[in-house]
Amino acid sequence: MMKPAGIAALLLVLGGAQGGSPPEAGPVPPDGSLPPGTRASLPPIALERRLARRLQATVGDTVALSLEPGGPARAALVVAVYEPPSDPARVARREYGLRLHLPDLAALLGAEDRVDRFAVALREGVAPESAAARFNRIAFGFRAVPSVAIANQASQTFVVVSRFHDAIAVISVVASAVFLLCIMLLKVEERRHDAALMRLIGVRRRTIFGALLLEAVLVAAVGSGLGLGLALLASVATNAYYQRFFDTSLVFSLVTPGVVAFSVALSLGLGVAAGALAAWRLVRTRPVVLWGRG
Amino acid sequence: MTLLRARDLRKDYRLDGEVVHALRGVSLEIEPGDYVAIAGPSGSGKSTLLHLLGGIDAPTAGSVELLGRPLERLPDRELTRLRLTKIGFVFQRFHLLPVLTAAENVELPMAEAGVPARERRQRARDLLAYVGLAHRINHRATQLSGGEMQRVAIARALANRPALILADEPTGELDAATGREILDLFRRLNADGTALVVVTHDEHLAAEARRKIHMLDGRISTAG
Amino acid sequence: MPAALRNLRRHPMRSGLALAGVAVTTAMLLDMVLLSRGIERSFERLLLGRGYQIRVSPKGTLPFDTEATLAGATALRRTLESDPAVEAVGPFLGTSLHARRGDSLVTLFGYGIDPAAQALYQLEEGADLAPGDTAGVLLSRPAAQAIGAGIGDTVSLLGRLDPQTASAAVERRLVVRGLARWLYDYRGQPSVGTVLAVMQDLAWQRAEDRVSAMVVRVREGADLEAVVERLRAAAPRAEVNSVGELVAHFRQRLAYFRQLSSILGTISLGVTVLLVATLMTITVNERLGEIATLRAIGIGRGTIVRGVLAESLVLTVAGGGLGVGLGSVTARYLDQILTAFPGLPAAISFFVPEPRSLALAAGTLLATGVLAGVYPAVLAARAPIAATLRAEAT
Repeated sequence: MMKPAGIAALLLVLGGAQGGSPPEAGPVPPDGSLPPGTRASLPPIALERRLARRLQATVGDTVALSLEPGGPARAALVVAVYEPPSDPARVARREYGLRLHLPDLAALLGAEDRVDRFAVALREGVAPESAAARFNRIAFGFRAVPSVAIANQASQTFVVVSRFHDAIAVISVVASAVFLLCIMLLKVEERRHDAALMRLIGVRRRTIFGALLLEAVLVAAVGSGLGLGLALLASVATNAYYQRFFDTSLVFSLVTPGVVAFSVALSLGLGVAAGALAAWRLVRTRPVVLWGRG
Repeated sequence: MTLLRARDLRKDYRLDGEVVHALRGVSLEIEPGDYVAIAGPSGSGKSTLLHLLGGIDAPTAGSVELLGRPLERLPDRELTRLRLTKIGFVFQRFHLLPVLTAAENVELPMAEAGVPARERRQRARDLLAYVGLAHRINHRATQLSGGEMQRVAIARALANRPALILADEPTGELDAATGREILDLFRRLNADGTALVVVTHDEHLAAEARRKIHMLDGRISTAG
Repeated sequence: MPAALRNLRRHPMRSGLALAGVAVTTAMLLDMVLLSRGIERSFERLLLGRGYQIRVSPKGTLPFDTEATLAGATALRRTLESDPAVEAVGPFLGTSLHARRGDSLVTLFGYGIDPAAQALYQLEEGADLAPGDTAGVLLSRPAAQAIGAGIGDTVSLLGRLDPQTASAAVERRLVVRGLARWLYDYRGQPSVGTVLAVMQDLAWQRAEDRVSAMVVRVREGADLEAVVERLRAAAPRAEVNSVGELVAHFRQRLAYFRQLSSILGTISLGVTVLLVATLMTITVNERLGEIATLRAIGIGRGTIVRGVLAESLVLTVAGGGLGVGLGSVTARYLDQILTAFPGLPAAISFFVPEPRSLALAAGTLLATGVLAGVYPAVLAARAPIAATLRAEAT
């Protein structure tokens, strides 16, 4: 059985989006503009924290709500200030929200007995998909959708952002790999005279290769450690900046053990592989050629 | 006019925290057309002396005058210009630019001196012919033998018609036969009026010189 | 320069890797430069594509941002048209509606427009709507497919559905005049368009004469900012924005991408400088003997410095050239990813090549090449001649 939700959480754009003109709702001056004793009968509303700050309104204040700028306004009593759940999809839109009881909003809109949607709680054991299918068989002018499908659809934005980040990460890894290989090659080539000398006095290729590889491992390990430290700092800075910029508690950058393990494994792997390739190339070359005489 | 005058040259430098007294008061004069050989055991200060005479190092004490100009008072730009136009250097390891051809290596100092392209190309050809390498003009330095490279280096040293050639062990990296070719070349150079100061271990090369200076422990031990 | 090129060929593997590294970082730099301005340029082109420089929407909103509407559209239009600098005003209404397909209903997006003054579609096939054509409809191709209708067919559009009575308060049968590409549709969006009055009926907005927004075209030579200010004063209950102001709002929403592109672009530059500087420094160190000899034979410091900088530049420019090609490919790939954003107009692109962006990328790359060569050049110029020659001899 469908029941309307007790309190509909709806967004009303009260103007002032993008920091433009001031909102149409403002505190009703406490100068007796309301008939005495009417406060108690005013419809209660809850303001989002940012809206309350913008209006400089607190619990107990009255505000005027209208649908049109300059249109007929209805007074309402602020009974709560709330922090809305951080929604990444809306973080950049800078909309303000407030909550009213459904009949009050309907009266304001002049849309008696009309809603945008119902939230339906099913009895235990009832599968959302089958319930939705049953509703849709008799539906006319509405569709029933399991909440999970809504969530999937709503998260498409983040799927796109995630894929974009992945693509950037791949490009970065490729650039890093080339860079690492180049640097390791240069580093190892700098040692060619030393390597030539060692070969000429009888040191085995394996020994030289091992020494160069060990160097590569050390460089890769220290570099990975430094990079990790840098990443942690950057993550803290990113969150601090964007949380302030968007006035939200959303976490924008999250460094998890999995991310750390993957990154370190990749950088170590790339560094060691690059060093090994460079070292192998060096030990393959004849000593006299390394010495510059061949 | 005396070409080069060195007075009481001293040179100390630090090596692994210790002070090395490479030169301990050396004086000498080089006249136009001179052919001087500086010989001595390793570490006697021969190359250090040559570097000071050519203005590529500064003495700890003492002075060097080239054509009457005290080198230690000149700013780097003027010193460089003097080396470009008045002195030619020949090194033991040739030090040609491997990516350039023989002709391009010879043209390098002329390009720096602002000689027009056509003129310097012609002069490079002439100089390489003079040193017997007319057939190797367009070969890269890496394609030349040791003796050929040294002859290109000599041609390069002659590019701007210097009054003086300073050579540091010019036959050090060459076999005996090739060394004799260089010896012949130096003889010809000196006969054509170029003053030569040659640091060498090579007895044959030293014997060719009209004056021989022996050095030991940073001092001139004998001069003749 | 020729010597610089030849010097790079001395170590083909090393130079090849460095070129590859510079190419990849240049590609990233180019993509980030394109990204930083691309979507704004794309959005601006979309808004100005039909020549309307001003948008009027409900107070505090941007066009199509919310379901808010403007009442009294006819009066408002007259007010706007009374400004001497205004050439044309096109009101439009966007709404959700349904069409019959057999026994089922198909959900569509509807545009109510004035065909004589519209900025929402381009006709692709068939005939356009005439200004008073209350019997015609234009379909997008996805809508035509969804309804199963073509040009000349009659379709039933329903509005204001009542689930209790399973009926529609409004139903109109319209003839498909043509197929249109709706400029603000996302990929695959099924859209239909009728004259404004018909759509107002379907959306139950006729009584209050409501529209979603209006487009305004200003006469050539008029001062756009002044016109915007006048219209704001004339219509205080509406939000009036020039296309430039809309782009600025849009830019604010896309702050993340702009900042990301700045950060990644800067990192790319840093990596390029590091790579080229490291390569050049090691190269200079290897060639100190050569350099000392050149100084000994009278080659000045300036010439040495220029030589090193030339090599650094050649490496950066050559790698950069490759990077431009690679960057074009990666830009297309990244654009494919980002344009999959739900609800994004299909006409929008994130990576828009334009001369200014390309010039910026090229200039930055050149500066990078010079910067990367500075330290190794100084190293080369300051190499002590005698000490270096001594070291070479041992």
